[in-house]
Amino acid sequence: MMSGTLESLSGIGEDGSSIGSDSEINGLAVRRTDKYGFLGGTQYSEGSDKDIRVDVARQREMKWLDMFNNWDKWVSRRFQKVKLRCRKGIPSSLRAKAWQLLSNSKELLDSNPGRFEELEREPGDPKWLDIIEKDLHRQFPFHEMFAARGGHGQQDLFRVLKAYTVYRPEEGYCQAQAPVAAVLLMHMPAEHAFWCLVQICETYLPGYYSAGLEAIQLDGEIFFSLLRRVCPMAYRHLKKFKIDPILYMTEWFMCVFSRTLPWASVLRVWDMFFCEGVKIVFRVGLVLLKQMLGSVEKLREVQGMYETMERLRNIPPESIREDLLVVSLAVTEALIERECTIQVRKWRESRGELTHQPGRRLNGTRAIHEHKRRASAISSGGSFSFLGSIPPPGPLRASSSLLSLPGFLVWESVCLCNVVTVQCCHPVSSSLCSCF
Amino acid sequence: MAYAYLFKYIIIGDTGVGKSCLLLQFTDKRFQPVHDLTIGVEFGARMITIDGKQIKLQIWDTAGQESFRSITRSYYRGAAGALLVYDITRRDTFNHLTTWLEDARQHSNSNMVIMLIGNKSDLESRREVKKEEGEAFAREHGLIFMETSAKTASNVEEAFINTAKEIYEKIQEGVFDINNEANGIKIGPQHAATNSTLSGSQGGQQAGGGCC
Repeated sequence: MMSGTLESLSGIGEDGSSIGSDSEINGLAVRRTDKYGFLGGTQYSEGSDKDIRVDVARQREMKWLDMFNNWDKWVSRRFQKVKLRCRKGIPSSLRAKAWQLLSNSKELLDSNPGRFEELEREPGDPKWLDIIEKDLHRQFPFHEMFAARGGHGQQDLFRVLKAYTVYRPEEGYCQAQAPVAAVLLMHMPAEHAFWCLVQICETYLPGYYSAGLEAIQLDGEIFFSLLRRVCPMAYRHLKKFKIDPILYMTEWFMCVFSRTLPWASVLRVWDMFFCEGVKIVFRVGLVLLKQMLGSVEKLREVQGMYETMERLRNIPPESIREDLLVVSLAVTEALIERECTIQVRKWRESRGELTHQPGRRLNGTRAIHEHKRRASAISSGGSFSFLGSIPPPGPLRASSSLLSLPGFLVWESVCLCNVVTVQCCHPVSSSLCSCF
Repeated sequence: MAYAYLFKYIIIGDTGVGKSCLLLQFTDKRFQPVHDLTIGVEFGARMITIDGKQIKLQIWDTAGQESFRSITRSYYRGAAGALLVYDITRRDTFNHLTTWLEDARQHSNSNMVIMLIGNKSDLESRREVKKEEGEAFAREHGLIFMETSAKTASNVEEAFINTAKEIYEKIQEGVFDINNEANGIKIGPQHAATNSTLSGSQGGQQAGGGCC
């Protein structure tokens, strides 16, 4: 766990920032951080979060430690239990390791020793470095780790984001990656955070941070049509005032709600997200819309585009109950994928081909695990090594729906509708389903 | 609060030029160097008075990074005014103005009033773009121009208000069809009946809902 509390706090004053009053900043009598490290801002927790009983917490930790010891077995044989435990919230002391196991970034880390340092040593493209540097002080500025200009948090953030641009030069840097990387850094060292970020960008949310942002726009359309099923009232309201999904869901989805929800809820959402994948992002978004715009009384207060947007941009913390976020809406992976097929078709009809085909999206831990298993079964016959360090060739990634895990030499193209799955050992011969 | 008109603005320009700070200075009269990066879009609103009429400005503040450009384009729809911002201490932000302008012209309605803003005028010692260059660019492209400082608040009010004045004049001249919401102008609920004659067209009944 990294934090530079004192250094961070002394740095705030130089900036003339508005965290608390001057006396709070310059003297030692600084405002106490909340239990998540926030000094203030909208995500500061006023201590209202109920702590679970010590014995319960200890029991949960033991269960998780037991799972860690037999991780592969738990995922392959008792995944429902893993899922349930993620939904209950991962014990904070074990969260970092759990996220890395759930996302399989642990394996990337272990199989690529020294790779992060190598990436760090590269000079990097000034085009990206310039933007990254400008963004460092604009990520969770009220969190003790990131409050100080040039402090440890900001330095590590630079290292992780820069490393990614070297790792994936064709992708570079997208500003929405910064808060995601920052959340990871609040829990783990830079190298670990880097591999975790790689998994999020390439496996959980492929294409979200790519030029053109087509993947996020497509998910916006999918999200909106799911809303029609889940909460027709909110759907009609947004439609009436011509509020496109990208107006409100861009930040929600790209930052996985890290800038939207109270911090305790952010962590719960991320626990589920790592386990179950993008489905959770859709569900949480739908729950929020249902909460904000799901009744006649609520809609009466937001009669207008601006009023509605204001409400959605400033969701009152008291209206978010952690337990509500786990409400199991009938939004399944299959439904999302079916909707995706429809929206891809509509996209092609109205806007033409997608210019950037992202890699295949894997729906959380089990899909990643399954994929890994299949890959190793194939590679055990030859000299291919899964999770190696050779990045897939750029043009091929960009031109077809290929698996985006690094070093995976057996190419696979899978359409999102799950109708056709083609596996082959050479990308040229892989045929694409009509969805893409 | 009742207003005679509502104008929609959009703030555009490279990342880090101070778009969000300009908005905050205008709406809240404060400068906050520590703030979250804009991802997607942020909003602000403020009431101003022009010619004795209450005008509500509804301002959309956008993400500056190029990858967000495809999304930003959809925000132009229905904007009456745009603040195109560059940073006087960073020449590259000035060099990119042409691209921004092309985007704005292509995706907005042709009457949209564009104000060119050279921000961070308080950082004179680090200046890379002369005021005359900004003026020349504005002249060449038919924009209004001002240098501002979101930090000291210098010219911030003026930038937003002068843009509104220009829009207001266009309404008076009948350039804007105020009954077409796509122009980024709405007639206030109470004023709909009296003002409908301004446009010389078919009344302002669609503003009766009192929304926004």
